[in-house]
Amino acid sequence: MAAVYAGVTGSQAAAPEPPPIRFEEIAAKAGLRFELQNGEAGGFHQIELTLGGVAALDYNNDGCADVFFTNGAAIPSLRKTGARFPNRLFRNNCNLTFTDVTAESGLAGEGYSMAVAAADMDNDGWTDIFVAGVKGNTLYRNLGDGRFRDVTEMAGLAAGEPRWAVSAGWVDYDNDGRLDLFVSNYVEWDAAKEPRCGTPERQYYCHPNAYRGLPNQLFHNDGDGKFTDVSKASGIGAHVGKGMGVSFADIDGDGLTDIFVANDSVRGMLFQNEGNGKFTETGLEAGVALREDGHAIAGMGADFRDLDNDGRADLLVSGILNDSFLLFRNLGGRKGFEDYAQRTGLLMSTRQLTGWSLGIYDFDNDGWKDVFFALAHLMQLDRYLGRKAALANRVYRNIEGKRLEDVSAGAGAEFQLAAAHRGSAFADFDNDGRMDVVVTAVNGPAKLFRNVTGGKSHWLGLRLRGVKANRQGLGATVRVHLADGRDLYNHATTAVGYASASEAIVRFGLGTAAAEFVEIRWPGGRVQRLTGVAADRVVDVTEEP
Amino acid sequence: MRFLLAAVVVMFCAMAASPGQASYERANALFVAKKFPEALAAVEEALRLDARLVPALTLKAKLAMAANRYDVARQSLERALAVDPRAQYAQFLYGMEAYMNNEMTDALTRFQRARELAPKDPRAALYLGLATESVGQPKEALALYQEAVRLERATGQLSAETLLPGVRLLLLLGRIEECEEWARQAVKLSPKLRDAHFELARLLLKKDTAPEAAAEGEVALGLSEGTATDSAIHYLLVRAWRQAGQPEKAAAHAAVMRALETAPVNRAQ
Repeated sequence: MAAVYAGVTGSQAAAPEPPPIRFEEIAAKAGLRFELQNGEAGGFHQIELTLGGVAALDYNNDGCADVFFTNGAAIPSLRKTGARFPNRLFRNNCNLTFTDVTAESGLAGEGYSMAVAAADMDNDGWTDIFVAGVKGNTLYRNLGDGRFRDVTEMAGLAAGEPRWAVSAGWVDYDNDGRLDLFVSNYVEWDAAKEPRCGTPERQYYCHPNAYRGLPNQLFHNDGDGKFTDVSKASGIGAHVGKGMGVSFADIDGDGLTDIFVANDSVRGMLFQNEGNGKFTETGLEAGVALREDGHAIAGMGADFRDLDNDGRADLLVSGILNDSFLLFRNLGGRKGFEDYAQRTGLLMSTRQLTGWSLGIYDFDNDGWKDVFFALAHLMQLDRYLGRKAALANRVYRNIEGKRLEDVSAGAGAEFQLAAAHRGSAFADFDNDGRMDVVVTAVNGPAKLFRNVTGGKSHWLGLRLRGVKANRQGLGATVRVHLADGRDLYNHATTAVGYASASEAIVRFGLGTAAAEFVEIRWPGGRVQRLTGVAADRVVDVTEEP
Repeated sequence: MRFLLAAVVVMFCAMAASPGQASYERANALFVAKKFPEALAAVEEALRLDARLVPALTLKAKLAMAANRYDVARQSLERALAVDPRAQYAQFLYGMEAYMNNEMTDALTRFQRARELAPKDPRAALYLGLATESVGQPKEALALYQEAVRLERATGQLSAETLLPGVRLLLLLGRIEECEEWARQAVKLSPKLRDAHFELARLLLKKDTAPEAAAEGEVALGLSEGTATDSAIHYLLVRAWRQAGQPEKAAAHAAVMRALETAPVNRAQ
């Protein structure tokens, strides 16, 4: 019996314990000095809670990820009065220092900004910026010389009734090689009609139930600098929600990118791409609409990624205190998703958290994507909790796709510091192969967490260049086949988390293995295989004709 | 014994002596009959006659809470407890006031005090458990739910409502066997309570017995008593029928859900 037991448990040598995921916070040292200002002045305006989008993008194509921060404005004017409210662009000097280039870039902006979506929308090789906000969005075209031009009107994006957008993302939904724009709208809001909530003695921020929801919008990129609102024609506009984070992936392997929208206190929506310019909302049938008990969580950030390396994008959604975050495992095809939060341990360990942005990246490059959460309770929850609402962020290590282990305590001293965190953007800012993250905090300094995880794990980054596909290859799915027989999967997207945009490079942690081949399925279905790809570098891949 | 008898006589005399007692009793009868405005008028009359009448102050708080006037409830309960710091029910309601206002640290303190005043009261244990679970102490909460169940069992008055918070928490904790035992007991105790069937259906789905989960969910949907929403039950049925290999039934429930969610949206808009 003892021999049998040994045979079951002891025949394989234990895998070496991976080094702990660790970050050091270097924003001030690196010159990334930014304070997100929500303009609060005692009015308990709902918009004060939800801002904070940030982007990691290489706007000048120097191979180093830069940072763009959105910012608030005065209330009720929604004007960026004074020096504390401009949006800000910081150029990465490629030596882990940053220079504020807002003035020369023309990106200071106007209005109460919420979110940013960054991608090369006109296929000219330069990353453009869409800023979503309260009653006004702005599209900036990157001119390629360090300057951006406001092309909102010219693009046809200024038309229609102004709404409150909380997130946005670039997606080529019809595989025509041009990136289209999805805008996640929250609720109807007017400073002059802000409802009063709370008790006679104490005012609170209102629950989202006090506001009417809004439908999302989809704008088709016509290729001539103009966009056409296809919200109605596509079916997207038929669904009213309270949209927060948005995430894209081809969830059923049909070569078409699908869309998930996390809604605040309303069920999540999954827009399944039918391939004829139309979407069907299938959140209920797919099993990603609600928590397992039928409760609509206060959905915030979202990310589609393959957590268990089975080639299918799983879905992670953050929520607020006592919601528990949602994790759904993709069963493939049209089988939908199953609840995976309990089995991975995420359900109970996130029950006392409030999450905003998030991202699924392999922070220790061991071949399993880990999870980062930007956290903070709502500001009024201090009385509920009996302590401050600020929270430290959390990082969870993925243990072979089966468990998510909270390893925050070992992630470094600065990682334990609480703040009113909101947006997050992921990139390898120092090009050392380890994913870093920049995080915003309401009325506090932004943080740049440099990944200093040890070990000798290998990694690979793919900078895609579409030819028939959109220039950045967004929507492409990538398989890396390792020499030890395992396959790793990821896909190209910049829409990650909440209100934020991350680098377009598709990254893989390889552990101790080497890549035997890399297979790219470009939007539209063309498959390209690369062999002899060396590790520990970012490889430029141009789509074969 | 003589002392106890004397104390009872003194208490009786004190109650009987209250000029507000008759109005309070009338108010209480009106409250039981759900005639809330009339009950409020009567309780105000009782308190005009005797501002320190603890049962009237407590009833006023209950009425205020029913009207979402937690500020009034709090004032009334604080007055009651100032008069009689050992007033058990007032102390329990004081905890409820904090719990309903999402002030969990206060709720914990107050329910804890209610437990001290009435250690055999299952309500105090149950709600202390709920507050404890809300602040992220599931093991401690479960112990309190178990205590509430034990106290009710001891009196032969075990109810499904007392079992269900424990059922939900056991399911979250993945303690499937205990959860099933409690859930089946809840169904047996209150076969017409949809919540009990719904929780059992959730458990069965978790156990990968989708056909049984669907059957139990359909039972829940056919019942009206309870707090589980139609929407939550339909969502369970969408997944249960899909897993059971009957997508047309799943689609039917999804269609009903969509109809349910567009109806209130239209009204709100």
